[in-house]
Amino acid sequence: MSYAYLFKYIIIGDTGVGKSCLLLQFTDKRFQPVHDLTIGVEFGARMITIDNKPIKLQIWDTAGQESFRSITRSYYRGAAGALLVYDITRRETFNHLASWLEDARQHANANMTIMLIGNKCDLAHRRAVTTEEGEQFAKDHGLIFMEASAKTAQNVEEAFIKTAATIYKKIQDGVFDVSNESYGIKVGYGGIPGPSGGRDGSSSQGGGCCN
Amino acid sequence: MVGWEAIAGMFGKNAGTEDLEAFYPVRPECKADIPKTRFRPRAGKTLSARRWHAAFSEDGHLDIAKVLRRIQRGGIHPSIKGLVWEFLLGCFDPNSSFEDRNQLRQQRRERYGMWKTECQNMVPVIGSGKFITTPIITDDGQPIEDGGWHVTSAVADKKVAQWMLSLHQIGLDVVRTDRALTFYENETNQAKLWDVLAIYSWVDDDIGYVQGMNDICSPMVILLENEADAFWCFERAMRKLRENFRCSTNSIGVQSQLSTLSQVIRTVDPKLHQHLEDLDGGEYLFAFRMLMVLFRREFSFIDALYLWEVMWAMEYNPNIFSSYELPSTASDSNSAQTFDQKLLKQYGKFERINVKNGHTDKNSALAVYLAASVLESKNKVILKEAKGLDDVVKIMGDITGNLDAKKACKEALKIQDKYLKKAKKS
Repeated sequence: MSYAYLFKYIIIGDTGVGKSCLLLQFTDKRFQPVHDLTIGVEFGARMITIDNKPIKLQIWDTAGQESFRSITRSYYRGAAGALLVYDITRRETFNHLASWLEDARQHANANMTIMLIGNKCDLAHRRAVTTEEGEQFAKDHGLIFMEASAKTAQNVEEAFIKTAATIYKKIQDGVFDVSNESYGIKVGYGGIPGPSGGRDGSSSQGGGCCN
Repeated sequence: MVGWEAIAGMFGKNAGTEDLEAFYPVRPECKADIPKTRFRPRAGKTLSARRWHAAFSEDGHLDIAKVLRRIQRGGIHPSIKGLVWEFLLGCFDPNSSFEDRNQLRQQRRERYGMWKTECQNMVPVIGSGKFITTPIITDDGQPIEDGGWHVTSAVADKKVAQWMLSLHQIGLDVVRTDRALTFYENETNQAKLWDVLAIYSWVDDDIGYVQGMNDICSPMVILLENEADAFWCFERAMRKLRENFRCSTNSIGVQSQLSTLSQVIRTVDPKLHQHLEDLDGGEYLFAFRMLMVLFRREFSFIDALYLWEVMWAMEYNPNIFSSYELPSTASDSNSAQTFDQKLLKQYGKFERINVKNGHTDKNSALAVYLAASVLESKNKVILKEAKGLDDVVKIMGDITGNLDAKKACKEALKIQDKYLKKAKKS
């Protein structure tokens, strides 16, 4: 499939918050009540359309346990977007957000778009973190925020797409030099170089042949 | 339990997975989600219960060479897997009597019982047939109240706090372990896995608990009915694997094996290595899971067990038991001995080659060559189609359920041979 842009995402957050389930719901439109736990890093991809342009999302799904942080860190490099996920029914996963964010800020490029997701919002009766707290945290740290449910698919599309739209807007605004792949953005065939891309958009790696 | 007729039937003309799965039943609703099983017990190749029992002398000495030969040809029949694994992993010395081993088993059960009591005194839910998935203390050691199951006062000791913080993590992983198997529908069985992992991480606090250990431990818990026996079998498997699980802020142990893998590919297939390097994959992180959980995800449950036993048989070293029990005396056993033919037969194929070449690098486990052989089998596709690391991951993902365990091991031995020869020359 050809695309105008490819955006690289990374999904992070504590273990068991539903990172892999969100990804599966987004790529395969299905839900696995109990998902295999992720060892190291796994991967998914999907095409979406923004502003009538085909955009490929390449998503790296990481293991949540603290022990795997050293591996997770090597995937921040070159990510355009991050989904930072917590579980609204488990308070401790919300409490750990600051430490995740610190890691992301330290290892990702400064313009990475971060979407905060409060997952499992179908389990309202077991809620341990209010929507307002999520909103406030996002506001304090300059993140986009949504509550979602990988189970019911509520807001899952929206979360991935809104992140992409934000990245797309940044391209339009000339925030990125899209010929530099370390931003996690790749120009594909038929893609238009961003306004800031003084250099030729069809740089060697872009290749534009990915079909 | 499965009756003798069912076992006998499996060696008959109509042997099929249908019967085989009676040993490890799969939940009907999960059948579509798991890879197909390719393993079939084969008469004359697979180590059968009858052959196994015939390999013991009257007082219990085991003809390990004979047993290894069989396993390397066709695996182990499910009815005896647990018992044979104990030998392959070095729980017992084949050169001992039934009596010796019973005694040792008894001692080990007692030792496990002591550790368990120690853990129970700190966290009463251990050994209760239940387990936890929510934290019992906060990150700074304060107890979290919920019904008096758990901790009552603040925990100051760092080792204890660290361990307590891992317990709900283990629980969260236990509910996600081999969930397709009927065995884990039962809470008591889940709790058995939880207990073993919890106690292991208490005893081996240097490593603690790291995700993936659950995938290694689960088969032991299923194959060995006695919890203490399952623990010791797991403990022995971890002797082979534990360095992979050693985590620091900057690295994970398995990366040493990944760098050996990189070295092997660079030597036997420089073109492929160069291509991977160009894709920014020179660290071989895409093989991380394969090495960490020994290909469990690439195979069905039964096939993974088959793969493991063939691997362990190939890696078998007759000094394994003494090297674990009496580490000081076994240290020079590999280098100083002269090898007569009879002794060489007690080595697995893979280890024999290592010993003959004087190659004792701990990071070059068979699993590394196995990962290399899997990569090699996809060499053309990767060179031609992979334009990014994501393509490599996808190509490697497509092998799930399509690998033949024995063939893969055979190829791995070929690569080992090629590598050692080339490495010698340079």
